[in-house]
Amino acid sequence: MASVSTRIEKLRKQYPKSTSAVLPALRLAQEEHGGWLPPEALREVADALDLTPAYCLSIASFYDQLRLEPVGRTLVEVCTNVSCALSGAQQVVEAFERELGLEAGTTADDGSFTLGTVECLGGCGWATVVAIDNRHRLRVQADDVPAIVQELRA
Amino acid sequence: MPEHPQIVFAGTDGGALTRIEDYESAGGFAPLRKARSMAPDDVIAELEASGLRGRGGAFFPTGRKWAFVPKPDQLPKPHYLVVNADESEPGTFKDREIMLRVPFRFLEGCLIAAHAIQSEYVFVYIRGEYELEFEVLRDSLEAMRKADLLGGVTVVLHRGAGAYICGEETALLESLEGKRGQPRTKPPFPAIAGLYAAPTAVNNVESITTVTSVLALGAGEYAKLGVEGSTGTRVFSLSGDVVNPGNYELPHGITLRELIYDVGGGLPGGRELKAVIPGGSSTSVLTAADIDTKLDFTSLVEVGSSIGSAGVIVIDDRCCMVQLGIRVSQFYEHESCGKCTPCRVGTRWLTQILEKIEDGRASQPDLDLLLSVCDRILGKCLCPLGDSDAIAVLSYVDKFRDEYQAHIELGRCPLEGDSSLEGILAPSAMHRRQAHEVAHV
Amino acid sequence: MSELVAVTVDDRQIDVPKGTGLVEAALAAGIEIPVFCYEPRLGPPVGACRMCLVEIEGIPKLQAGCTLTVQDGMVIRTAATSPKAAEGQEATLEFILVNHPLDCPVCDKGGECPLQDLAFRYGPGNTRMTLPKLTVDKPIPVSPLIALDRERCILCYRCTRFSEDVAEDGQLIARNRGARTEIATFEDEPYRSPFSGNVIELCPVGALTSTLYRFEARPWDIQNVPTVCTGCPVGCNVSVTIREGKVKRILSRNHPEIDRGWLCDKGRFTYPHLRAEDRVTAPLRRGPKGLEEITWDAALDDAEEMLREAGDAVVTALSGSETTEIAYALGRLLRGGLGAHSAVMPEATSNALEAFRLPLSAIGEAEIVVVVGDDPIVERAPIVDLWVREATRRGAEVVVCSPTGDLSTEPGGAAALCHELAGSRKALGRKLRAAERAILIWSGPGGGGGARLAELAHALGLEDKPGSGAFHLPATANPFGVAAAWAASADADEANPEPFELLIVSGDGAAADPSVRLLAEQAERTIVVTMFHELVGGWADLILPATAALERDGTTLNVEGRVQRVRRAVLPPCPDELAWIAKLAARFDVELPPQATGVFQELARHLFRDLSLDEIGLKAPLPARHPYQVPEPATTPSSALPTFSDEHYVGALRLQRYRALFSGPAVERVPQLDFQRPRPEVELASVDAERRGIAAGDAVLVRSNGTSVELRARVSRRLVEGVARIAEEHAADLHAAVEVVKAQ
Repeated sequence: MASVSTRIEKLRKQYPKSTSAVLPALRLAQEEHGGWLPPEALREVADALDLTPAYCLSIASFYDQLRLEPVGRTLVEVCTNVSCALSGAQQVVEAFERELGLEAGTTADDGSFTLGTVECLGGCGWATVVAIDNRHRLRVQADDVPAIVQELRA
Repeated sequence: MPEHPQIVFAGTDGGALTRIEDYESAGGFAPLRKARSMAPDDVIAELEASGLRGRGGAFFPTGRKWAFVPKPDQLPKPHYLVVNADESEPGTFKDREIMLRVPFRFLEGCLIAAHAIQSEYVFVYIRGEYELEFEVLRDSLEAMRKADLLGGVTVVLHRGAGAYICGEETALLESLEGKRGQPRTKPPFPAIAGLYAAPTAVNNVESITTVTSVLALGAGEYAKLGVEGSTGTRVFSLSGDVVNPGNYELPHGITLRELIYDVGGGLPGGRELKAVIPGGSSTSVLTAADIDTKLDFTSLVEVGSSIGSAGVIVIDDRCCMVQLGIRVSQFYEHESCGKCTPCRVGTRWLTQILEKIEDGRASQPDLDLLLSVCDRILGKCLCPLGDSDAIAVLSYVDKFRDEYQAHIELGRCPLEGDSSLEGILAPSAMHRRQAHEVAHV
Repeated sequence: MSELVAVTVDDRQIDVPKGTGLVEAALAAGIEIPVFCYEPRLGPPVGACRMCLVEIEGIPKLQAGCTLTVQDGMVIRTAATSPKAAEGQEATLEFILVNHPLDCPVCDKGGECPLQDLAFRYGPGNTRMTLPKLTVDKPIPVSPLIALDRERCILCYRCTRFSEDVAEDGQLIARNRGARTEIATFEDEPYRSPFSGNVIELCPVGALTSTLYRFEARPWDIQNVPTVCTGCPVGCNVSVTIREGKVKRILSRNHPEIDRGWLCDKGRFTYPHLRAEDRVTAPLRRGPKGLEEITWDAALDDAEEMLREAGDAVVTALSGSETTEIAYALGRLLRGGLGAHSAVMPEATSNALEAFRLPLSAIGEAEIVVVVGDDPIVERAPIVDLWVREATRRGAEVVVCSPTGDLSTEPGGAAALCHELAGSRKALGRKLRAAERAILIWSGPGGGGGARLAELAHALGLEDKPGSGAFHLPATANPFGVAAAWAASADADEANPEPFELLIVSGDGAAADPSVRLLAEQAERTIVVTMFHELVGGWADLILPATAALERDGTTLNVEGRVQRVRRAVLPPCPDELAWIAKLAARFDVELPPQATGVFQELARHLFRDLSLDEIGLKAPLPARHPYQVPEPATTPSSALPTFSDEHYVGALRLQRYRALFSGPAVERVPQLDFQRPRPEVELASVDAERRGIAAGDAVLVRSNGTSVELRARVSRRLVEGVARIAEEHAADLHAAVEVVKAQ
């Protein structure tokens, strides 16, 4: 696999101005660093794009999908916006809390899971939407959760 | 359910056209060839004649938007087409299905639009949460590149990273430039100084996909669909307390009743309709009394709401309208970019006041304060986000005043814990909970 | 005359030039529109705070006035006449105050706070916010110089815009989103920028405050003295805040042609050196038991005796930062009284550039800017760096030709490059010739003090283009004034015979200069005028206390050739130089006024065509260009480099020493500035580092004939190959050729 900076270099060439590559570059760095952006990842991106680490922090902290805290190996995010909420999203959240032994908004001590709630994932007609590592499971009900967790643990 | 003409989803037969051969044999790329054989201005004229208006929420005429982009000889800078695929208005999930089922029609529309505004660069800003959709577009684009259909146009798929505000066009442009996604002041408008301060057209996915269909049908045929002022079809996203939620492509002007009951199968368990949000969470709520309202631009304005993004959320009688206010306000609070004062401060304040009402701690002046804070947000912000919160909350109080009043008089929620939104954990509350814990360590 | 448009503001009609901002147009009509985020010096308006909401006829929604330029026929209603605008303003103010703490009584900004003023004028007087406010830890040190109170912050983004769009340092940022947005730096790193202090002045509330000023004074018990900074040759206009006879802070005093209201941290934060522990306040004489304090009478007797013994065998080492008056008075005493004409200056200066004179602000409007010389502009004349950045933002082509620049040159290669550019072979030279507004800047040593640059400017015909010009950025604050005054102080111009007996060291700049120390070793005796004991305690025979610029009256001649007034902000702890020089001069039958105004009158006759102090005023004008005079030709080869045989120094690197902005005796006496001083680093080109197996951050040894220094490696993609760049203060005794190896 090419180094992060080489891959960022490729990304920046897509754009008329290199700063445009900062979001894709941060995404890439996040993937390389286990799902979050430690300070050294921000430094890496800054270096590759001639930006400052502080600038990269300013960008990363603006976007929900870019994370500045360590995250579990599996990321479970339940949409709790109106349509999902009307369709039982809170029961789904609580089922995940029970099954994972985790409070929403926290990461398991063993680093296996992070559980959280998120704003509308754009799947209101297929409520409740649960994003697992950014892959959407549709029409999830509380009853489905034990099987999902079992599958994820396997 | 009567058959309705399918324009955006034409030829899919309920499925998807994700193989380039299938799309081509369904008539694909003929509109592109037609457009490229026309002068750019003629394409724009065709769009103007079709009456197509933006499907992102603002309903601005697509052809006119393109006409505002100066010609390259008037403003010799690169021109850009930017497609807003950052669909994130609560209740709206149509663009996602369009990209999944008719990716080529969408990309074809991009190339037609690029031809019309004489751009050699197309950026598709797709929300970061749409992983599968991104992959489908990426593969489709590759297939088109191989089929030599791009005609010298560079198409870049640019992924967002989780910020509702980037659906606002100037915030989107900032984000695309690698900045924090905060809206710009207008003027200058993107048509003159958009991406990299160059002339830019920003269009929604459904609008762009419909462009292909307009070219396929011809403006005249297209304009026959729908109603006066709102021509053509619309992909309605139906969700909430309804038997058959989903996306439905229907002509403008069908009624809410038809959509919810005939198409959507009514409310589950025969429950009573309490409220409908007709165009995404940013639009004013309607009540059961508005059930015969037609779903088109003018009709919704007449009942004090808006067609918005055509995301229709059905709400039954189990829902507490104060809780709805809290949840909607939490969303805007969470998504406020933080640039302008009324939105940054006001959305959080609204949530706090609504929570006080829901908790039964509020007295009459708190309700007055709620309305006053809404008024003080309205029309004072840099972009529509703060207004959206205020409009939504004002409409909930306006249409369900008795219920708000009851919270104050009873000192508790009249639904006593049985509301369908009871206890719902919003991300903003989750963060607050965490911050609270940190503070007490 | 530009085209006018007619607008109506609150029923008052006014004509303003087309393109005028709405806020400025209202002001011209005598109506103040309150603002927080609006600050034209930060670039285009952002419309963030919404304080300036106004009603405009024909537009249904309230508009952020700051974001608009007026159009002909525009009818504007502010809060004064529009209930809707008034409601908008009230709403914004309420929102701003929702999370703002009520701690004005303990806030440094209290009494000079725009938010306090506007809340007082327009605010409701009570709050409707009874729910929990956002609370955070406070104050947070953003750097040793700046404290951040995030609760007071109203997120107007002035500070972050300054960092991103003016200083372009990318260090001070907004973090998070929405209500959780906060001002921050990366991790725990300090806001390290030569211009960081400007954010304190930009902050419209008490969120960013100076740690040096914290709890030191209140606005009603201070005085402000207008003077000019002498930290570098720019001469930024400043305002010195005084309380009970002590300097409490330094603020900018916007001279739009010079500094535009910006100030560097050296100028803003170095004042605590006035109260340095080793400040010399009385004369000292070296006796059998070392240095001992003596009376002024004894000191003058001693000085007189030393001067009489030395006669004309005196060398005067000038700092280049003296006021023009002090240099003139010294010249009159030594040259007029003793015939001792020899003087050394840190760098040469040339009058030839007077033909290409322009205000610094012209740089911002240039089409093309070419910078030559070994030193980054920011190390010599920081504000010029901001003007050059402005030029870039406005679309100018900026080409930096230096060992670290866009166009790589060898150290010392600037003169040769100027010669090349003067010819027609280089594309850059042709561009310069074609441009209407071309600016040349020499930033570094050598080049005959700008003479080589003047030759280039003349070859390009810049003296005939009013928007074009050339600047030489010297290393010290007033070398032009000092050189001119020294020259004007006597008619004779012959040099004195060597060897010499007595060295006179004028000021701390000279005292701290290693080459002056070498001179001192050659001299029989040395008299030093200095502020700091530790600088000279080991080698001076007679020490006379110096005053600081903040304690002086006088004038300086800045980088543009502008005569500016330095004013005494506080009393010195010792007599003024001019007072004792006059006394000493009298003993040699030289008559001198004992104060600055008198000396100025005398030298103005010689130098400034009888310019009067009134004409200089508070914001000095720029004198007209002089006709071009052919400068002295180069006396040394244009590439004045140490020559060494390749064979002997295989793989050796050339040492490039540079004098960092944050260096020198005054800066060293302010501990809060330590973090701004150059790190103990050696900068290497990436190829050179790679060749030696050195990575960024590695500990390395820099060696030359017998000496070595341990430093950290800094790997640069910009630095030219074959060079090791080290700040003067870390370069110790290293020779011109060095080798760098990884430390074990």
